[in-house]
Amino acid sequence: MWKMKVFTNTIKNLALMIVLVLMYQAEAQDAATTYAKMAPVDQYLMADRDAEIALARSAAPESISRDAEILILGRHGFETAVHGKNGFVCIVGRGWSSAADPDFWNPKVRVPMCVNGAAARTYLLRITKITDLALAGRTLAQVNDAMADAVKKKELPPMEPGAMCYMMGKQGFGGDSAPHWPAHLMFFFSDTDLAAWGANLTGSPVVGIADPSEHLTQFVIATQKWSDGTDVSPSLPTHVHQ
Amino acid sequence: MRKNKARSIVIKCFALLLVFGTAFQTMVYKATAQDATTPYPASPYPKMAPVEQYLMDRSAEITLARSAAPESISRDATVLVLGRQGYETAVQGKNNFVCFVGRAWGAAFDWDEFWNPKVKAADCLNPEAARSILPIVYLRARMVMAGRPKPEIVSTVKAAFENKQLPDLEDGAMDYMMSKSSYLTDQGGHNLPHVMFYTRVKDGKDWGSGAAASPVMSAPYWFFSPQDESQLKGLPPILVFLVAAPNWSDGTPAGQHNE
Repeated sequence: MWKMKVFTNTIKNLALMIVLVLMYQAEAQDAATTYAKMAPVDQYLMADRDAEIALARSAAPESISRDAEILILGRHGFETAVHGKNGFVCIVGRGWSSAADPDFWNPKVRVPMCVNGAAARTYLLRITKITDLALAGRTLAQVNDAMADAVKKKELPPMEPGAMCYMMGKQGFGGDSAPHWPAHLMFFFSDTDLAAWGANLTGSPVVGIADPSEHLTQFVIATQKWSDGTDVSPSLPTHVHQ
Repeated sequence: MRKNKARSIVIKCFALLLVFGTAFQTMVYKATAQDATTPYPASPYPKMAPVEQYLMDRSAEITLARSAAPESISRDATVLVLGRQGYETAVQGKNNFVCFVGRAWGAAFDWDEFWNPKVKAADCLNPEAARSILPIVYLRARMVMAGRPKPEIVSTVKAAFENKQLPDLEDGAMDYMMSKSSYLTDQGGHNLPHVMFYTRVKDGKDWGSGAAASPVMSAPYWFFSPQDESQLKGLPPILVFLVAAPNWSDGTPAGQHNE
């Protein structure tokens, strides 16, 4: 029984790692086998504005997200739906910015996140730029090239110290490749060695993902509760479609 | 029903606060101190205990220090042990992590357990923390073991920063504290696995710390509840964030404790 519990926990961490690596390190994968091209724009939008606001807020505990700025996706990019006052910004990421490459054009992807002020001034600019490019019909390869170029030309700033985000929403959909997101926090750095945090080593609670093309390093730590305060179950959550 | 559930969550969060580690304990202390109706509790440890009470068997100390992080990290780490003149290197590592057993006097200067000799807090600092936090740890330990009084330790640390003898905090400095065998505080369950982040962030709210149901907590590094601004003058602002880890360093779930 004891061994079984340890094993289950190891599996849980492994699952987290697999999910997140799938989501963020998909550059090497053969992209867009299922979703070969952009769907009609309407399919990426959420018809119910209040539902998108609520989903965005669900990324963080209500004590944080209730005072956050909320962005929702319009036909030409993210736009402010609610002005905030605590520096946090909550959005629902779509496939092109927040899923594995095969789900780049998957119109069902909905990934809620609440970034703090430091990440809003740095990391979020990348999400919104990717979104603008995708909505303009750029392909995955074109988006990747444009992002790398923008970072190289310093049109996009490096990560600010202390940049982090909450991704503790129970109701997101990460795409067909990795539909279920464990609740977690993310920390953003520019070009940091994954080994410096002991990331991805056996037993480490830290998952690290490096994106050399964007000079971006992301560290992920799972949380034990969802944003609504309920416990994260030992198995990955059942996805609730929007 | 909904209210009962929310209250239960609040109680659980408070219980969690009570069982967290050294920096965590300072947060509880701060919360108490900020309540005008609650007087400062008298410290159960008003002065330094005999030096021997802070020392450990060398081999046990190495084992405890390593247990702060998963073996995949700590097996290649440098390990320090506390001697009569301060911390000394017991094992030279090769991954630039440094593991040691922190004592209570390494925490906030106004912590009421500052001289608690039972506190044995296993830490593994990452390279950024080893370069920027460890020099502070070394200096404080040397002075404590030499029997220097707390005000002199504070003034010496300030002078060392002023004279650039102590380095600036590096971005990305963090600390594994996942040992099942640590004793972090007299409060609660005495222990909880977590990772800590040393930052120059000014306000814990920037990370959502302290918000209801937030998994992030924070505490100032130097003084929990400074009496006035002059107490902090000369000390670089360091805010420590804590996030609970789901497992102990040996892989067993956080809820299980064999000690």
